[in-house]
Amino acid sequence: MTPTLASAVTQVPLVEAVGMSKRFGSLLALDDVSLRLPAGSFHALLGENGAGKSTLVKCMMGYHRPDRGHLSLDGVRRDIHNPRQALDAGIGLVYQHFTLVPNMTAAENIVLGRSPIARVIDWAAERAQIEAFQRDMPFHVDLGARISGLAAGEKQKLEILKQLYLGRRVLILDEPTSVLTPAEADQVLGLLRDMTRERTLSVVLITHKFREVIAFAREVTVLRAGRAAGSGSVGELKQADLAAMMFGSGAVFASAARDKASTPGDIRLEVTAMTALNDKGVVACDEVSLAVRSGEILGIAGVAGNGQRELVEVLAGQREAQAGELRVMGERYDRSRKQMRVRGVHLLTEEPLDNGCVRGMSVAENLSFRNFDEPPQTVFGCFLRGSALRRHAAALIKRYGIRTASPDSRIDTLSGGNVQRTVLARELSGAVSVLIAQNPCVGLDFAATSEIRAQMMAARNAGSAILLFSEDLDELLELADRIGVMFEGAIVYETPRATADVQTIGLHMASRQPAQEAA
Amino acid sequence: MNTGTDIGGWSVVIAVLGAALRVSTPYLFVSLGETITELSGRINLGLEGTLIMGAVSGYAISYATGSPWLGVLGAGATGAAFGLLHAGLCSLPRVNDIAVGVALFILGTGLGIYLGKPLIHPVAPRLPDIHFGAWSNLPSLRAALDINALFIIGVVLAPIMLWMLRNTRWGLILRTVGDSADAARALGYSINGVRAIATALGGFFAGIGGAFLSLYYPGSWTEGLSSGQGLMAVTLVIFARWNPVNCVYAALLFGGATAVGPALQAIGYGGDYYLFGAAPYVLTLILLIRSSSTRHRMFGAPSELTFNK
Amino acid sequence: MGAAYWRGLEAMTLTVAAVLAALLLFGIFVAFDGLNPVDVYRVLYLGAFGTSFSIESTLTRAAPLMLTALCVAIPARAGLLIIGGEGALVLGGITAVLAGVALAGSPPGIAIPLILVAGAAGGAAWIAIPAGLRQFRGVNETISTLLFNYIAIALLNHLVSGPMRDYAQTLKPTSWPIEPAFMIGTIPGTNVNWGLACGIVACLVAYVALRRTTLGFAMGILGGNLRAAQMTGLPVARLVLIAAALGGAAAGLAGAVEIVAVHGAASVSLVVGYGYAGILVAFIARQNPLAVIPVALLVGGISASGGLLQRRFAMPDAATTVLEGCIFVVVLASNALYGRIRLLQPRAVAPA
Repeated sequence: MTPTLASAVTQVPLVEAVGMSKRFGSLLALDDVSLRLPAGSFHALLGENGAGKSTLVKCMMGYHRPDRGHLSLDGVRRDIHNPRQALDAGIGLVYQHFTLVPNMTAAENIVLGRSPIARVIDWAAERAQIEAFQRDMPFHVDLGARISGLAAGEKQKLEILKQLYLGRRVLILDEPTSVLTPAEADQVLGLLRDMTRERTLSVVLITHKFREVIAFAREVTVLRAGRAAGSGSVGELKQADLAAMMFGSGAVFASAARDKASTPGDIRLEVTAMTALNDKGVVACDEVSLAVRSGEILGIAGVAGNGQRELVEVLAGQREAQAGELRVMGERYDRSRKQMRVRGVHLLTEEPLDNGCVRGMSVAENLSFRNFDEPPQTVFGCFLRGSALRRHAAALIKRYGIRTASPDSRIDTLSGGNVQRTVLARELSGAVSVLIAQNPCVGLDFAATSEIRAQMMAARNAGSAILLFSEDLDELLELADRIGVMFEGAIVYETPRATADVQTIGLHMASRQPAQEAA
Repeated sequence: MNTGTDIGGWSVVIAVLGAALRVSTPYLFVSLGETITELSGRINLGLEGTLIMGAVSGYAISYATGSPWLGVLGAGATGAAFGLLHAGLCSLPRVNDIAVGVALFILGTGLGIYLGKPLIHPVAPRLPDIHFGAWSNLPSLRAALDINALFIIGVVLAPIMLWMLRNTRWGLILRTVGDSADAARALGYSINGVRAIATALGGFFAGIGGAFLSLYYPGSWTEGLSSGQGLMAVTLVIFARWNPVNCVYAALLFGGATAVGPALQAIGYGGDYYLFGAAPYVLTLILLIRSSSTRHRMFGAPSELTFNK
Repeated sequence: MGAAYWRGLEAMTLTVAAVLAALLLFGIFVAFDGLNPVDVYRVLYLGAFGTSFSIESTLTRAAPLMLTALCVAIPARAGLLIIGGEGALVLGGITAVLAGVALAGSPPGIAIPLILVAGAAGGAAWIAIPAGLRQFRGVNETISTLLFNYIAIALLNHLVSGPMRDYAQTLKPTSWPIEPAFMIGTIPGTNVNWGLACGIVACLVAYVALRRTTLGFAMGILGGNLRAAQMTGLPVARLVLIAAALGGAAAGLAGAVEIVAVHGAASVSLVVGYGYAGILVAFIARQNPLAVIPVALLVGGISASGGLLQRRFAMPDAATTVLEGCIFVVVLASNALYGRIRLLQPRAVAPA
C-alpha cells in the first residue's frame, strides 16, 4: 500500500547524469561516468570502497562541481551548483551519516528541510500535515521525539520520511542499510521498490551488498576505480558477473591461508559480565561475556550501535566499565601501559587516524607509541634516543611497505591505507598475545584490505588470540574460527565457522529470540 | 536617612534586591548576546574586551551627542564590530576560537583603556531611571525600585528571543548551524555566515551591557569598570541552558551575589570586603562545576560548541 | 633537509611576518591619532633596545614573562589551554612571603632557595586544582583558570589588607616583608636581577623536558589525541596534573622572584599583567619553550618602551597593550597560512 505524496506537483522526471568527471588533486575519482534513470527506476550503484559511488552522487547533488559533465532533467540540461538547487529540482540524498539535528525534534527537522521555510512557523498546522502524511506510511516516527534520543534505525526512517514528505521525486540512498537490521532493511527497501513500481519515485541505491542489488533493484551500474565497469538489467546478470565487473575478471577473492592444523589453546582474553554505559548514560554493554583462546579468531557480528563500540573502548582503556571483569592470560587486566606491554595486548581500532594516531606527529613518532619509553629508545630510562627511534621506524616502514615521502612526514599526509599500515606495523610487529580489532578494513582499497587480513591470519597461525568486531559479515565468514552476534549489548548467539549459516546469524542480529523458522 | 519607620535588617535585603536589579543588567545583556552566539556553535571569550569597548564608545558618543540612547546604540555597533572581528578570525582554518577570545579580550581591554583616556574627567549624560517605587514612603524602597530602562528592555527581550528561536525561520537555522554542521551544509546554509551574524549580534548586546556600566552604574568611565563580567556571562549562559528567559533569572542571581558585599559594607559590616568581592567568581565556579561532567556532554548543549572536548 | 627543518622554517617565517604585519597595523592606528608612525617605531626601538638603560629594563621585564609563558606552554603540550598565569604568580608571591617570614633568621643560602620553592609550590597548586577539576569533573580549564585569576587577586587583596598586613606601611596595603638578607641582588655589572637567570634556565629545562624526555613525549601524545593516549595505556590523569603543576610552578616561581628580587613584600604591585602577557608570549612562540626566550625579550621590550612612548607622545601606556593585542590577533590569524605557502613546504621527495 503506497502512500500518496503530499506535494506531487510534477511527474517524476527522467534524470540523466552525463559524462561526469571529477578530480581531487592527483586522484581521478570519477572518469566520464553516465547514469540514466527513467521515471520509476530502481537503480543500484555497485562498487567497492573508493570506486567513486559517493563522488558521483555528490556531483549530482551539487555538493561537488564536476570538472566535466552535467545533469539533465527530462532532456533539459540543468547545472546544479549547490545542494539547495538539487533539492529544489526534486532530488534528495539520504546520507550515510545522519544530517539530523540532535537537539531538535523530528518535526523541527522535517520543517527544516522545507524550501523556503516560512518566516514564522505555524507548528500546529505543520504537525497536522505531517501526521496526515505519516498515516499512509508503514513506519511511524514520533514527531515530538528529540533526535538525540532516537536509535539509528529510527533516524534512518525519519530521513527517508523527510525526503518523501518534502516532495523529492528522485531519492539517492547512500548505503542506507548499514545501520539497519536485515529485517528493517527489507522493510524500507521493499517500500521504496513498491513506490518505484507505481512510478511515483525513482531510486538510486548505493550499496556493496549483492543481496540488496538482486532482491530490490531492476538496473545496476558497477563502478570500479572511478569508471563505469559495466551496467545492465539485474534479471540478466549473475553474482559472478557482478563480481567480475567490480573486481575485474580473473580476480579471486584472496582467501587468507588458514592453518587448518592449529587447534585453539588456552584462554587468553576473558570478559565476564561486563556492563558499560554509552555517552548518553544509557546501558550499552549488558553483562557481556566472551572468551578468546590462543590461535583462534573470534568474530563478533552485529549492526553498529549494539554496544560494540563501547565494548572495544572499555578494552582499549578509553571507557570505564560499570561492572564486570576483564582478564588477560588468566589475570586481572587494568589496561595500563605496563600490563599492555607485559601481556602483549594490542589494538587495531576503526578509523585509525582519529583513534590511534596523533595527526600532528610524524610517521616515525607514531610508530614509536608502544615503545618510546623502553630501551633502546631511551637513555637512563627517561631521555629519548632519537637515533634509536628513527632506526626502529625505518625498519618498520620497510617491512610493512608504508608509502611515505619520509619518516618525518606528518602522518596525516598519508593515504588511508598507509595510515592503517602504520598502525598495523606498530601493533603487530611485537609479540602479540591478544589482538583486538574493530572494522580494520573499512574505507580501504582492495589491496590494503587483503594485506591486513593476511596479517591477522598470520598472527592467528602464530598463536595470537584475536577478537574481531566487524560489520562486514563476509569478512567474518572469511576470517573467523567462531562467529558471535552482538545485539542490544549482549552476545546472543555463537557458532563455529563450520556450521555458520548467514540466515540464522542475520536473524540474531535483529532480535533476541528469533522465531524458530524452517531453514 | 532616618524616617519614622525603622525597618532595620530589612533595609539590607531591600538594598541587595535593588542593587541586584541594577547590577544584573550588564550580565543580562551580555548573556542574551552570548546565548545567540553559542547557539550558533561558537563560544566568545573575548566579551570582556567587547564590554569595555562598548563602555568607552557609549560614553564617548553620549558625551559628544548629548543623548545617552545614541550612546547605547553606538556601543552596540562597536560591540557588533568586535563580534565580526571574532567571527572573521574564527572562520580562518586552523584557528582556535578559544585563543581568539583571549586575544580579543586583551586587545579590547587595551584599546578601550587607550581610547578612554580623554574621557576620564568629562561627564556624559546618563541613562534615565523609571521610578517604580514612587508609591512608597520608604526612601530605601524607593531607591531600590529605581529601575533603569535598559533592564526593562532586557527583560522584555528575553521571552521574545525565546519565541523567535522556536518559531521563526531564523531561529531554526541558527540552532541547526550550532547543533549539526553536517545538516547545515547539506541544506546549503553558510556556517561561517550564520556564525558571523550570531557573533555580531552577541557583540551588539555585550556592547550595550558595557554602555550600561559607563552610562548608568557606576556611571562614569574608569579603568577598572569591568572585572570579569564578560567571562562570567559565558558561564551564565551554560547555567541557563541556552534559554534566554533563564538568563534573566541567572543574571539576577549573579547581580545579587555581586551586590551582597557592598550592601553589607553600607550597613557597617566592613570586614572581609575583598572576600565578598570574590563571591560572584566563586559562584560562577560552583555553577560551572555543577554543570560539567566527564561522562556525558551537557544536556541540551549545542553539539558544535568546542567547549566539550 | 628533513621535514622538521621545513616546519621550523615555516614557523619562524610566518611568525616574523605576523609580528611585522601587526607593527604595520599599529602604525596605521597611531597615524589616526595624529602621530607619525615612523617616529613611533623609532621610540619603540629606543625604549626597548636603544640604550643600556632600556635593554636592562627589557631584560627585567622579560624574566617574569618567560616564566608565565611556561605556565601556558607546558600544559599546552598535554592539550590543556591554561591562562591562569596571573593567579599562579600571585599565589607564588603569597607563599613566598609566608615562607620568608617563617624562615626568618635562617642563613640566606638555605632560605632563598626554599622561598623560591615555596613560591613554585603555591603556583603549582593553584593550577593543579583547575586541572583536577577538568580531569575529574570535565570543567573547561580555560574558564576555570581565568576565574581563579580573579579569585587569587581577591585573596591577595584580602590578605594584605588584613591577616598578613604590615601596618608600618602607609602608602598602600602591604604584607609582612621578608628579611633584607633574603633579597637576591642584581647580576654583577648590570641592573638586572637574577630572576633573568631563573627564567632562562626554566625555559631550557622545560624544552628538554618536553621535547627530549619520555614524559614530554607522553604528554605530546596526550595533547595530540586523547584516544591514542588511552589506547596505548598512558596514565592520562597523572600526565594532566603533572603538566599543570609544572606550568603553575613556573608562574609561581615568577611570583617568588618578584618578592625576593623586586618588592620584598606582597602587595597589589604583584598584579601588573605578567600573566596575561605571558599568554601572548606562549602563543607567539607556538608553545615552544626555547622560542619563549626571544619572544619574551620582544614583548618585554614593547612593555619597556611604554614609559618612553608616554613621555614623548603623551600616549596612554595602554598603547603597549594595544600593540600586544594586535600582535596576538595577527599571529593567531597567521595560523591559517601554515601549509599554504608553497615556498615554505618541504620539497617533495619521491617515495620509495
